[in-house]
Amino acid sequence: MRRRLRGLVPYLFLVPGGLWLIAFFVVPMLVMASVSLQEGSLGTGYRMTWNFGIYPEVIADAWTQLSRSIVYALIVTIATLLIGFPMAYTIAFRGGRFKNILLLLVILPFFTAFIIRTLSWKLILADNGFVLGTLKDLGLLAPTTHVLASPLAVIGGLTYNFLPFMVLPLYVALEKIDPHLMEAATDLYASRRHAFLRVTLPLAMPGVFAGSLLVFIPTVGDFINADILGSRDTTMIGNVIQRLFLATNAYPEASALGFVLMAAVLVLVAIYARVVGARELTV
Amino acid sequence: MHNLSNDYAHTLKRLAAIGSALVFVVGCGIAGQSPSPRASSAASQPAQATSTPRGSASATGSAATATGTPVATASAAATASPTDPPPATPQPTLAGEVVFGNWPLYIDIDEETGEYPTLEAFTEQTGIQVSYQEDIGDNSDFFGRIQPDLAAGNPTGYDIIAPSDWMIARLIRLGYVQPLDKSLLPNFEANAQDLFLDPWYDPGNTYSIPWQGGIVGIGYNPTLTGREITSFDDLLDPEFAGRAGLFSEMIDTMSMTILSLGVKPEDATMADVQAAHDKLLGPAQAGQFRDFYDNSYVDALATGDLAITMAWSGDVTNIELYENPDVKFVIPDTGGLLFVDNMVIPNGAEHVADAYKLMDYWYTLEAAAPLSEYIGYYSPVKGVREQILLDAQTARDEGDEEWATQLERLAQDSFPDEDALDNVFNYKILSEEEERQWNDLFSEVVSG
Repeated sequence: MRRRLRGLVPYLFLVPGGLWLIAFFVVPMLVMASVSLQEGSLGTGYRMTWNFGIYPEVIADAWTQLSRSIVYALIVTIATLLIGFPMAYTIAFRGGRFKNILLLLVILPFFTAFIIRTLSWKLILADNGFVLGTLKDLGLLAPTTHVLASPLAVIGGLTYNFLPFMVLPLYVALEKIDPHLMEAATDLYASRRHAFLRVTLPLAMPGVFAGSLLVFIPTVGDFINADILGSRDTTMIGNVIQRLFLATNAYPEASALGFVLMAAVLVLVAIYARVVGARELTV
Repeated sequence: MHNLSNDYAHTLKRLAAIGSALVFVVGCGIAGQSPSPRASSAASQPAQATSTPRGSASATGSAATATGTPVATASAAATASPTDPPPATPQPTLAGEVVFGNWPLYIDIDEETGEYPTLEAFTEQTGIQVSYQEDIGDNSDFFGRIQPDLAAGNPTGYDIIAPSDWMIARLIRLGYVQPLDKSLLPNFEANAQDLFLDPWYDPGNTYSIPWQGGIVGIGYNPTLTGREITSFDDLLDPEFAGRAGLFSEMIDTMSMTILSLGVKPEDATMADVQAAHDKLLGPAQAGQFRDFYDNSYVDALATGDLAITMAWSGDVTNIELYENPDVKFVIPDTGGLLFVDNMVIPNGAEHVADAYKLMDYWYTLEAAAPLSEYIGYYSPVKGVREQILLDAQTARDEGDEEWATQLERLAQDSFPDEDALDNVFNYKILSEEEERQWNDLFSEVVSG
């Protein structure tokens, strides 16, 4: 009896989290799946018709925005990696007594709301704001040049907003590396470059993997940056879903598109895990 | 900075709206396959009202029935048709509070105390506390937020809301708002301007009375366009590529484009809508439009990010007076649209008697004039324009020349004259199917 109870304990620990996920993830998912297969309208109500045809339909309709979102998210992931890795490396190995302050600075932007930070980019990059306005006055830019309402602004905003999600896991991975390993590598006649490529980088891969996922997944579905900094030609899949839900009240289409997005992300993450090696996750 | 915080609030509300839409979807799923009873009962209500030409307003207070309302007087009882649903029956006594959901920047504010002087005066007169919520940032978003409650028959928490005309038509179509007992709105009966009575979206003002009106036209900055603007087609001029703006509200942008094709929106066929779509799609794909805007166009126009854009008259008056004196408003030669935001009592309102008091209060000159002087929109109340001019005179006599000039400009810009009104048209009442078709075509234009 006692033994049986002891065997149950780990499962009991899972109960709160499990219930939470069932209530707020599994149930809504099933409901969304059900709504996506219904047909109808606000006035007449919705009826379950097992309308699977809606899936190819919404994919065809939103293909441009879906592929655009994935491309943007890939660019943002690579950009945050390129910017974040040197940052995390420096903090982990050269931070010294400033380490904590530097880490605090990385998360400091989180102390203000996401939307406020994005909106301030709008002020900074305004056509006649202090950046572009000055450059235009100096004759360095044509008077009609604009950065807002362009892919550059949207990708820039996303990169800025999600950078900490890359830096923090990278830092954690790098911080765990024993510097003596690198010393040992150089003692064994590895060049510094070689030591980095053969020792540091492989050991940092779990951080790269986690950081990429933490950046890529929310970026694909983001709509605020495209909404505030973008234009018609930077519409992302999140904006389409938002518009379907709120402006046209097309709940089945919006739900179906939500699943399409989720499937796309799952497939891409699975490929990524296969390529990078899922074993890195367990390190 | 107010626009920044406005954007912020707007986006937060949008997030909240997504939350409630999800809740609704969950509700749908759980409710399973049967349409909600409330929604189906809406079909029996007078939905597809025939559109009446504006101006031929007959002040009909007769829509109200007297049943169940002991206060009803002979003036209102008259000829209730049997198909009319009974009016909202107020509680016998006032509750002492009322919740009013309205658009941002749509009421007078005392800049020092942050209080609303006209509402303070109302509370002083009646003892009713007003909870004033600036919750409507966009008709569709707001609808998405209250719709789940209304569909489920729950209170929305509001006693009065003030969406725009076409949304009023939808709320009536779905049976989400209560018919009004006009006998409880004596000031409205006495002081409403004819122009605002018996409107296309609510014949006989059965469910709604106007809050403020305005005109959808074009706002532009002559120093950036380099010429005066007269036509809707100027928005499509490649010279302004990337510096032109349209509205993200489908009905506004599509109706203005349809007008530019020489068709009145109320007469528009699907072929006309298709033609409007074709007209906008090419320029949209070529990057003509900087974006499709909600209220945020105000900022872009004021700072010069936009040279020319679709605009709401009162906003441009505000920019002109307080932010950028260069900016101008014009009704294009092919015509503008008259929009009216209206007060309605949603189903499930908990303080109906108080709501009537507040709705009627806005039809007194003491409330309507200071309101218009502050927000710069077109008041539905008789004599407001004259009162503003009187106040300008008083200000001048007292030596406040600046305020006097501002009031005079406001009276001139915000209150269109006969000629201007001749070139202003109504929206079309869309059936659910039409709305979907229009939206689909518009979505192609908006989403690149």
